[in-house]
Amino acid sequence: MKLFGSAARAEPLPEAALSALLGRAIWPRLAVGLAALLGAALLAAAIGPVAIPADAVARIVLSRLPGVSLADSLPQSWQDIVWEIRLPRVVIAGLVGATLALSGATYQAVFRNPLADPYLIGVAAGAGLAATAVMVSPLDYTVGGVSLVPLAAFGGGLTAVGLAYALARVGRTVPTVTLILAGVAISSIATSATSFLMINHNERVLTTLTWLLGGFNLSEWSKLWWVLPYMLPAAAIILLYGRILNVLQLDEEQAQQLGVNVERVKLLLLGAASLATAAAVSVSGIIGFVGLIIPHAVRLLWGPDYRQLLPMSMVMGAAFLILADLMARTVNSPSEVPVGIITAFCGAPFFLYLLRLRQRAVF
Amino acid sequence: MGTGGRRVREPLPVSRQGFVFFFYPKVYSKSPSPISRRGTFYIPQKGADVSSLVQRGLLLLALVVLAAAVACEDGGGEPTPEASPAALSAVQVPYPLSIVDTVGREVTIEAQPQRIASLSPAATEVLFAIGAGDQVIAVDMYSNYPEEATTRQQLDAYEPNLEAIAGVGPELVLLFYDPGELADSLERLGITTAVLGSVEETPESVEAVFEQIRLLGQMADHVQEAEELVAEMQGRVEAIEEALADVEQGPRIFHEVDATLYTAGPGSFVGGLYKILKAQNIAAGADQPFPQLSQEVIIERDPEVIILADGAYGESPDTVKARPGWGNISAVGNDRIFVIDPDIVSRPGPRCVEALETLAEYLYPEGFE
Repeated sequence: MKLFGSAARAEPLPEAALSALLGRAIWPRLAVGLAALLGAALLAAAIGPVAIPADAVARIVLSRLPGVSLADSLPQSWQDIVWEIRLPRVVIAGLVGATLALSGATYQAVFRNPLADPYLIGVAAGAGLAATAVMVSPLDYTVGGVSLVPLAAFGGGLTAVGLAYALARVGRTVPTVTLILAGVAISSIATSATSFLMINHNERVLTTLTWLLGGFNLSEWSKLWWVLPYMLPAAAIILLYGRILNVLQLDEEQAQQLGVNVERVKLLLLGAASLATAAAVSVSGIIGFVGLIIPHAVRLLWGPDYRQLLPMSMVMGAAFLILADLMARTVNSPSEVPVGIITAFCGAPFFLYLLRLRQRAVF
Repeated sequence: MGTGGRRVREPLPVSRQGFVFFFYPKVYSKSPSPISRRGTFYIPQKGADVSSLVQRGLLLLALVVLAAAVACEDGGGEPTPEASPAALSAVQVPYPLSIVDTVGREVTIEAQPQRIASLSPAATEVLFAIGAGDQVIAVDMYSNYPEEATTRQQLDAYEPNLEAIAGVGPELVLLFYDPGELADSLERLGITTAVLGSVEETPESVEAVFEQIRLLGQMADHVQEAEELVAEMQGRVEAIEEALADVEQGPRIFHEVDATLYTAGPGSFVGGLYKILKAQNIAAGADQPFPQLSQEVIIERDPEVIILADGAYGESPDTVKARPGWGNISAVGNDRIFVIDPDIVSRPGPRCVEALETLAEYLYPEGFE
């Protein structure tokens, strides 16, 4: 039964042929992706609700290099806006986009489920509950200028995932279906508790709702330290496991026979992806859709090999979220739009377009 | 009734209360902040379109308030608002009284209501201020002023429970927000119900408040006290307007509603107060009454005064000064960041003039000592 099931899967290419094909092919597409990312970042740095000429932006950024001073003649407010507000926003949006897309791809691989996204087993719901609890509490949630919200979100997200994992444990294994169900159940509990808190503290509902929909309006450089320490090691680990994730697509039992310690890999990769996602959510709120569609878009464009799908998802996720955030701060200027609305509203049609385009070729 | 009115109105004219709040910023009590009271709260606001629709609807409602109030005064042969208080002393409200509430429902009040359930913090403040406090038997849980109001039975205005409201046995229920068909359901139970709407998003703020005070004065049969209250408030507003007569353009202001940079735009009640003060609201140009401004925009538009209505979130002049990129904003450099109690500044009740006076002091330190 299981053997037949695996034979029917969509990736029957021999491993050797695949690696020969992709080993060389990844560099051109990575170059394309990085160029897109660079373009998105430059565009996002140059455009904002406050009109600052592109050359002024360039001079302000270059002046940060030691020994260069090109920005002295520019208004101080422009320098503050570009360096303290806009650039951290672009960088953090990129990091969060990369993290969500990478985690989404990892979840989809480990669960072998195309509907998986990084919030599947509770990170978002747990983070949302904890963040909301802090935001509606009668106590100050800014202590000495540092907000407790990211800390709570990070802890809440990890707690929810840990709980789901513990509950799904059967003996020494954690069946993926059980884990998904446990995660979905825990997410429901957390979501309903969040709604309850919001309803009961409706004087703060706009604050909490805005956080839940995600955004980068309050980005600052120091928030890098909320993301990078988790995101970098997690990304390194996950990228190293690209080949094993390919093997895992066959079937858990077969992967086991091929020498993969499936339970250990699942724990390691889900742990890394969840940790990175929790960190990303803690600085940006719950931005939907990126983690779901970017891996699929990459798959549609360049195929299902995880050795390229993982890095390409990171690059494209970063570029996509940078552009989405650019829209978030410009379409309704001078007001903000929660970026989660943009990602879903603009990302979905593009994804449907890709789906139609490749309908015959891939599926 | 009259004595009750005098008792609770005493704290009102204390014009320096703003300073008290400045020095003791932790005196906050829970109350809906301006943004929440537009009646949208609940799950909605999924997208900007929904919220702006709701906002527009509410703006319309607020306009209806004015129209309705004016209409009922004209049609019902009630005293005109301009009549002097002395001439009104003999006025008795002719019951049964028919009024049109702000959602266009015709409301008939059979006799002076002795048991009022006020599910609106602003209406509660008005009722107590016009001496009808003794008639109030239940309030919503955000009705925290005057102190005496908190001794009444508490109901939930946002998630209203029909049974709980009926359970207190009210003769008149005042809502500022009807989540569904609450008013009709109450009427079916034989409980007279009026929806007063919220003027949160009415820039003609004080005028709208005056209209609501007069309407409540009629409903509770305290017409004279209501006129006196309006006259007193009007006098204080005019004093400010007079003092600012020569001011061409006041300082640029940023009114921070919460730590995620929601602000009160010119289209809001609070924005209306700043308009009276001739301040230049840096949120001008935003479509919504309560927009969330981009940080870039705040820095570019360089507010000269920052008013924090989010002290309860832990924000303070010090946290604002510490924000990256904010160091060169005029208000930060000149140390003109002030904390104000959101209950006073955003609640369309009698204390809005108090807020006006406090803000005048913050905006014009030389003109208002």
